[in-house]
Amino acid sequence: MRRLMSAVLGLMFGIASVAIAHAQAPTDPQIVGIVQTANRIDISQAHLALRKSTTPQVKEFANQMISDHTNLQKSISDLATKLGVKEETSDTAKQLKQQAAEESKKLAGLKGKDFDREYASHEVAYHQAVLDAASKSLIPNAKNAELKSALQGAAPLLQGHLQHAQQLQQSLQGSSSGQY
Amino acid sequence: MKISMSQANHPAMSDSPPRCMRRALYVAAVCVAALPACLLGQIQSQTSPQVVTIKQMHFEPATLKLKPGDRVEWKNQDIFSHTVTANDGQFDSGLIAPGGSWQTTITKAGTITYHCGPHPNMTAELVVEQPGAHGHAAAETAKEAQTSLRWTLPKRPEEIHPILVNFTAALLPLAFLSDLLGRLLRRQALQAAGLWMMVYEAAISPLTVLAGWWWKSTEANQLPAKLITLHQWLGTAAALLFIALAVWRWSFHKRAVPPNWAYLAFTTIALVALVYQGSVGGAMVFGQ
Repeated sequence: MRRLMSAVLGLMFGIASVAIAHAQAPTDPQIVGIVQTANRIDISQAHLALRKSTTPQVKEFANQMISDHTNLQKSISDLATKLGVKEETSDTAKQLKQQAAEESKKLAGLKGKDFDREYASHEVAYHQAVLDAASKSLIPNAKNAELKSALQGAAPLLQGHLQHAQQLQQSLQGSSSGQY
Repeated sequence: MKISMSQANHPAMSDSPPRCMRRALYVAAVCVAALPACLLGQIQSQTSPQVVTIKQMHFEPATLKLKPGDRVEWKNQDIFSHTVTANDGQFDSGLIAPGGSWQTTITKAGTITYHCGPHPNMTAELVVEQPGAHGHAAAETAKEAQTSLRWTLPKRPEEIHPILVNFTAALLPLAFLSDLLGRLLRRQALQAAGLWMMVYEAAISPLTVLAGWWWKSTEANQLPAKLITLHQWLGTAAALLFIALAVWRWSFHKRAVPPNWAYLAFTTIALVALVYQGSVGGAMVFGQ
């Protein structure tokens, strides 16, 4: 069941990333909007994990997501202010929000290890999707050189989160192997 | 004059050096005993750490070469918190906030790979090499080729210092032993040997020290910084102590009495310092 769920989730985010990649080329204000939406989503889901999970590794990961994405959010916001770019919404941002709302609803209904596993696998898929979107759509389409370079600088962070989430996912699988 | 005469005749005072000299010797002995500790502290605080900068999700430099005992400081100039976590678990900084830093001293030789806990894609390594380990074999081969049995007059400090060290190292224990036995067995000849060997020790050791400083000045960069600093200052302090001991020893001779136990105790301290000094010197020449 878990595998099926992961597969469905993976497919969903795969489609999402493809959707982001193939959407109409975003403008700089839309790029800022997409990045900030992605940051807000991850922060709010991390807060949810802090409230619902009791696993120290999950809490640690969630705290890290809050800290890193808040800092990223601030740096992008400072850059946008400096460049005079005002955040704009887009279909991609809306799509991200809608998917996040569905995921949050799903997470809210889960408890204990089920919650941990779902959160971890979602974080893997989410960071993968955002990373794909950054490399295939946001970075190539960014007009402003400073914005482009800031996005390029954020890619290793997302890559790091992806690996961290994968490690978390693995360790959670390892800890539950005795139950099945 | 009268007072000093009466002191000299007094049996209890007969084998004690003048008060001010005794005081000076106590101070000298305490200084020598405390020297290694003070120097180590000083070296520790003086040695500026090697710096790794954490910036834009990278450790810079990704490979840092070090020697055992070096300090490393990681400065987080990123906008995110990071950790410095050794893959084998030998160190872990915990989260270093943006703008913060963390230091550690690397003691063992070998390659240490490390990463950032929250961002496992950030990895780097410390290559800790024993000083002289590299090129040591090559240097040995070169030395081997140059070696011949033909004796030439020592001219270079690396030849002179080890020769003089032999005299410094031999005279002090022999002076001590002669005085100890001379006192226990009440042998005048042994006491005279003890006196003169201490005088020779005081005369030769400053030359040993000078040759050492000369050697250091020619190859300061190739020697392990901490060891050489310790060795040069401990050596200098020891030579001064030997001079003080020789003066003290001479005062017993002038009063025609055997050296007292206090003198023998100070000589023992000097001996311990000399043995330690020898081990530090050996560590530099032959490796630790």
